[in-house]
Amino acid sequence: MENKKVMKKKTIGLILVIIIVAIGALRVGKELPTIGDLNTPANTNISRYYISNAENDTHAQNIVTAVLADYRGFDTLFETCVLFLSGIAAMVILSDKKKIPEKSREELLAYHKDSNFGSKLMDGAFRIVVPIILIYAVYVLFHGEVSLGGGFQAGALIACAYLLNRIIPNFENAFRKVKVEISLIAAGIGAFFFVLTGFIPMLYGGRFMEFDHLPFHADTLSDLHADGILMVEIGVTVCVAGVIITILEVVLERTDFDD
Amino acid sequence: MSLMDHMPILVILFPLTATLLCPLLSHFSMNIAKRIVITALFISVICSVVQLAQVVVSGQAIHYELGGWKVPYGIEFVTDGLNGTVTLLVAVISWTTALFSSPFEKRERGSNTLRSAGYYSMLSFLAVGLLGMSQTGDAFNLYVFMEITAISGYGLIACGEGKGPIAAFRYLLTGTIGASLYLLGVGFLYAATGTLNMSDLAKYMPEVSDSPLIIFSIGCLIIGFGIKMALFPLHGWQPAAHSYAHPAADPMIAGIMIKVPAYAMLRFFFCIFKSTSPVMETFLDVLGIMAVMGVLFGSLKALRYDTYNKILAYSSIGQVGYIAMGFAIGNMYGLLGAVLHIISHAFMKAGLFYTSGALKFRYDIHETTQLGQIYRQMPATSLTMTVCALSMIGLPPFAGFFSKWYLALGAIENGQYGFVAVLIASSLLSAIYFFRVLEKLYMDKKDEKIAENAGRSNKKLELPWQIIVPMLVAVAAVILIGLFNSYIVGEVLKPTMTEVILS
Repeated sequence: MENKKVMKKKTIGLILVIIIVAIGALRVGKELPTIGDLNTPANTNISRYYISNAENDTHAQNIVTAVLADYRGFDTLFETCVLFLSGIAAMVILSDKKKIPEKSREELLAYHKDSNFGSKLMDGAFRIVVPIILIYAVYVLFHGEVSLGGGFQAGALIACAYLLNRIIPNFENAFRKVKVEISLIAAGIGAFFFVLTGFIPMLYGGRFMEFDHLPFHADTLSDLHADGILMVEIGVTVCVAGVIITILEVVLERTDFDD
Repeated sequence: MSLMDHMPILVILFPLTATLLCPLLSHFSMNIAKRIVITALFISVICSVVQLAQVVVSGQAIHYELGGWKVPYGIEFVTDGLNGTVTLLVAVISWTTALFSSPFEKRERGSNTLRSAGYYSMLSFLAVGLLGMSQTGDAFNLYVFMEITAISGYGLIACGEGKGPIAAFRYLLTGTIGASLYLLGVGFLYAATGTLNMSDLAKYMPEVSDSPLIIFSIGCLIIGFGIKMALFPLHGWQPAAHSYAHPAADPMIAGIMIKVPAYAMLRFFFCIFKSTSPVMETFLDVLGIMAVMGVLFGSLKALRYDTYNKILAYSSIGQVGYIAMGFAIGNMYGLLGAVLHIISHAFMKAGLFYTSGALKFRYDIHETTQLGQIYRQMPATSLTMTVCALSMIGLPPFAGFFSKWYLALGAIENGQYGFVAVLIASSLLSAIYFFRVLEKLYMDKKDEKIAENAGRSNKKLELPWQIIVPMLVAVAAVILIGLFNSYIVGEVLKPTMTEVILS
């Protein structure tokens, strides 16, 4: 009886909150600048600088990449760290749970015989997809400067290829899987590569992440910035791929999902 | 550029590098990985001392533009007297907590070194996030660091035994709402001004201060920071999270994780909005009501518990209320009191949680009823507990007295005598609940408990030195902040406050 009363109170409270938020949202909606209006502060202030100077400063045709990896590269460094951190947190929280005992080779082969994508033909078809995804990942990584793409997407694609490789029956290499430790170390090294990219200019008289001072040969400063952006993207790719594989492996190691 | 110019980034860079390489190093030896993390945090303490000295000597804020981009286009770190002090505070408590965790980690390690490496990585990431939050001069960059702080916090809370994962999940839900509301507030600010740099935002504010966007933005920021600093009606996640977190990481979670958002709130309200926005007064009044209710609620609720960690957690709700009360008073003394309370409460609460961790480490004591004259076996722990508890109550030679003193001065100057009454009432309440603990510690006359405690192992030292040193650092800090109070206020905080905040 009492429980019902509490529920009723909670429902009323929830409805009140929703109404207040809705009224607030309607008020704000009226005040927010129109999308695409060129004269709003959001479009006239710093974004105008980015639009007119990104190409000259960084050699990146894609302004998003220029802002992401160069103008506000420091934010991206810590977004990458957030990913690494989530991998670590997942590993720590799940690490003391019960684990599946290691399967012997025969068991694995038997297991792989039963599970496939419906038929042998489909398995073969999906096996062809894996290298294509990997090639596409590299393309996305290096193409980030010109059009859509970049490190985060490339890392996710590599992890996708790994995932497919894990679930397709694969008789020759039934044991091919990455240890949690190795993938986590790889993720850490990827993020560390990013930090290193920012740190090298400090040795040559610049500030953190000031790519003008990278000690590479280049004709113009914007070429140096392009190099810096590429290094950043590579670091991000390794980190993202490592983290996704870590989380995947950590979850697959568990026996039951009831608790 | 010389090494000296790089101090603001070096403070963050050392712990960051150590935490990223921690899994790799633990592959070879966990002890080396652990020592490198602790050393990196110690170097970060040295860097923050150097940088604070630079600021105090030159009297000017250090601006460090990351990537060399000019200010509104890139991100910058700004260090002045105020956040230099907060940075030093964060660095010291992070270092001592990393040291403190060492015996716990050794005991729990077993065969699973990767888990230990993960624990140290998260601890160091928590330090990085808090250091970044206190140093950055960019509103969105603050959000990124807030995210780092939050996720490492979730992980460390979930590490705790018992109800830890549940508490972490609850904090995850509320903390995400808080972070999203902060981001929404920053989004409104960007829509109104088109910039993210804090000093640049302050420059544009007079032109747009009437806009409803700014009002909504302030509302979102109050709720966002309020959730993060566990201000009264938004404190739901805090008691469970602080009680069930990993005992070794608890000093950091309870000590500084809820203080740095309070500092960020101060930055936003008094550097960006205060002088221009017409509605700021109303919002500060709301904050004052929340603060008063929080102070009373936290102190009263703490009376009801016998579990040591619960008492400390509820007392934190009250103490965060003091900080918000300082913001609500809003004059020079009030803000000085709030900042001093951020600093002194961080050390006091960290010290008390060190003692809680030490009790758990040696005798597995959770309840105050189990204490029974334990001061005979654990003199250093009892000393820390006594000093920090007396400081929490607000007795004169210790740090806690001075922050309350400044708050009271500010309230009297503004004629807000209600705040003074609440201050005195809650000090008396905290005296009750802390003397209940101290009584159990020194005078509990239950024979069997004394026998039980005395019969336990007697080593040369009561605890490993890695646990003793952090406690002594906390005691020294509480006493020194009390004794050198006039220097800290007059030379370090006041110039910045008059120049930046109340200009």
